[in-house]
Amino acid sequence: MLAPTEIAPGPPATLPGPPRVSHEDLIRRNLARLGWGFTAPALIVIAAFTIFPILFSIIVSFEKVNVSGSGFSFSGLTASNYSIVIKAALWHHALWFTTLYTVVTVLSEIVLGTLFALVLERLTAGRGPMMALLLIPWSLITVVSAELWGYIYNSSYGLLEGLFPNVLGHPFSATIALMVADIWKTTPFVTIIVLAGLVMIPTELFEASEVDGAGGWKTFWRVTLPLLRPTLGIAVLFRVLQAFGLFDLPYVLTTGGPGTSTESLAMLAYNTMFTDLDFGPGTAVATSTALIVLVMSLVFLRVFKAQVGKETPNA
Amino acid sequence: MKPLLMKSPARRKGAPHRTTGSRILATSAIAMSVAAFAAAPSASATAKNASSVTTITWWASPISTSGPDLRKVLIADFEKAYPNIKVNLQTAPTDTDTNRADLVTTISGGANTPDVFMGDVIWPGQFGAHSLALSLTKVMPKSFFSRFASGLVAGATYNGQVYGAPFFQDQGFLYYRTDLLKAAGMAVPTTWQQLQTDAVTLVKANKVKYGFVWEGDAYEGGTCDFMEYYADTGGQVLNASDSASVLNLADVTKVLTFMRGLVTSGASPQAVDTFQEPEAAAAFQDGDAAFIRNWDYQYAAAQAKGSDVIGKVGVAPLPTFAGGEAYPGYSNIGGWNLYINPHSKNVSADTSFINYMTGTAAETVMATQFSEIPTNAAVRANPAVARLNPPFAVLAKTRLVPRPAQNPNYPKISQAIYTNMNSALAGSTSPSKAATDMASQLSAALGSSGL
Repeated sequence: MLAPTEIAPGPPATLPGPPRVSHEDLIRRNLARLGWGFTAPALIVIAAFTIFPILFSIIVSFEKVNVSGSGFSFSGLTASNYSIVIKAALWHHALWFTTLYTVVTVLSEIVLGTLFALVLERLTAGRGPMMALLLIPWSLITVVSAELWGYIYNSSYGLLEGLFPNVLGHPFSATIALMVADIWKTTPFVTIIVLAGLVMIPTELFEASEVDGAGGWKTFWRVTLPLLRPTLGIAVLFRVLQAFGLFDLPYVLTTGGPGTSTESLAMLAYNTMFTDLDFGPGTAVATSTALIVLVMSLVFLRVFKAQVGKETPNA
Repeated sequence: MKPLLMKSPARRKGAPHRTTGSRILATSAIAMSVAAFAAAPSASATAKNASSVTTITWWASPISTSGPDLRKVLIADFEKAYPNIKVNLQTAPTDTDTNRADLVTTISGGANTPDVFMGDVIWPGQFGAHSLALSLTKVMPKSFFSRFASGLVAGATYNGQVYGAPFFQDQGFLYYRTDLLKAAGMAVPTTWQQLQTDAVTLVKANKVKYGFVWEGDAYEGGTCDFMEYYADTGGQVLNASDSASVLNLADVTKVLTFMRGLVTSGASPQAVDTFQEPEAAAAFQDGDAAFIRNWDYQYAAAQAKGSDVIGKVGVAPLPTFAGGEAYPGYSNIGGWNLYINPHSKNVSADTSFINYMTGTAAETVMATQFSEIPTNAAVRANPAVARLNPPFAVLAKTRLVPRPAQNPNYPKISQAIYTNMNSALAGSTSPSKAATDMASQLSAALGSSGL
């Protein structure tokens, strides 16, 4: 993850006389060794707290696991955890719900975030305070903001109760309610990223398009958006990774209900592992979720790269 | 508000119920029982010299939410009675599932603290099967178990071994507004059908906003409520050996149809499918509901400052189905047990602690000063205790039904029950479809063949 392969080469220019390859190599090697030495503590920490747990959970997902007072015991490699998961209606539903949730929230956040960023970029006064205000939802811990939304949605004393009674009591409205809470919280994050991208676009391009007689709408589609593409790509990637790991909002607001209609993959993994103590199938859910996200991200990056390659701003 | 507190049915809300009389009673009980323990050779710390003090760690979530901390009161009393043992209180998460997850990782990781932990009454099957608790049968004298009210020890038993010492009990009661019933000339309902009719009548006459509130959310409390209705039809979930499903589809459909009917008839609010204890209690204490099904703390909570129904609350056993089991209907058992960590290095101090905490002194303090239903039969039988708390006076009349927690796969069994109950209640699944889904998920849970 942090492989320090890019050690800065020694300063060859300062070396007098003809270039002495072997000496340079020596310096480089020493520097590399030094680099490894300096990064070793960080690498060990990462190995202990990230790489080992990931590998361990992959291994566990292929084992028959028994949890007991004397620890975990494994009895033989098996793929049955995955076949249990794949056959389970709960998993099918959680996968569908998580995917739907990810697609809808990320799309909405990208559109809204871009709009907010465009407005903010044009603000001549008060941009600072506006940014600060925008960041409040984002800076709230999700559990806290979920509790706050709980006050709004609550079916006996919620603020919305008069307008939309029992929002969390039906699968459809509960799903929408969770999405709204997520969009409220995370749109500012997209806004900030897109704003950073907007600021980076050279103003000459806008001036040129104005000179060429392009209107605001055309300028947006032909200049702004293509140049924002890398920024949007990053925003989408971050958001997809996060949205697919959805846990705290439904855990607090709906506990997965009504029924299991708002149970996400992460909640399913948690319940399977820590409520049912079925660590085999539970880690299989977690591992397969990570795999799905990984594949999605790779595909997305590839598609996105191809598009960036094709499109050059030609307004 | 969905406070993290009280998410489980066994979570407490009641304000402590204190009177001077209760304090005198408690003090005398302490004096009596300390003397009794000194004579009892069983588990009490025997003749250790004063210099060797053992420290044990007690893992327990908060029990009382206002006033003095019940746990600290009991610890102080215990340390006075056993000067050689110090108790270090470790506060557990208030959410019962988070609590369990923490304990599972701690104990399976081999940690020798906490020594004693307070755990839900539905844990013995799972904790026994996974050796996450020490068998009390092996470390306690046989006579120890005879102090508890009937049925409680059986509920804490898995495979012939008792894993938890019943610490305090909880169960469902029907609370009603005495003023509303009196004005309408209604008697306390003894059947669910009558309750529904009365609730609809009161709502239609604009006497009250909601008729009957209860806990219908998709969570453990939903299973508790379902079990009460289902037991009233004579239905059972598991066979005698707790190994196979004997779910009666017709009875389940009948129960789910009735539950959904409470909503469609207007007896219960639409939102009851998102109600946990706090929502139901809030509606009742705000004067918005005529009837509520809740745990024992509801009485004290309805009499506490801030309640709009002080002096207007009655308590009765739960109704039954007309044409079903005889009155009174079944009340589900909740509450908490004391368990010992199998890695504890201080088992003899642990047993002394459990012996004290379930003894007459500690149980009297809990019952008289903190409105908890004692598990100790002698304390429960004390008329002075019953007088202090009206729900206690109803106790003797109630009939209890446990949740099918003797099976180590109980969490999955419960999920099969409450998720499908909740779907039917919300109207997103028909009662008959929810019943067949419940049955098939139950079989999957028992066969460990599903998630």
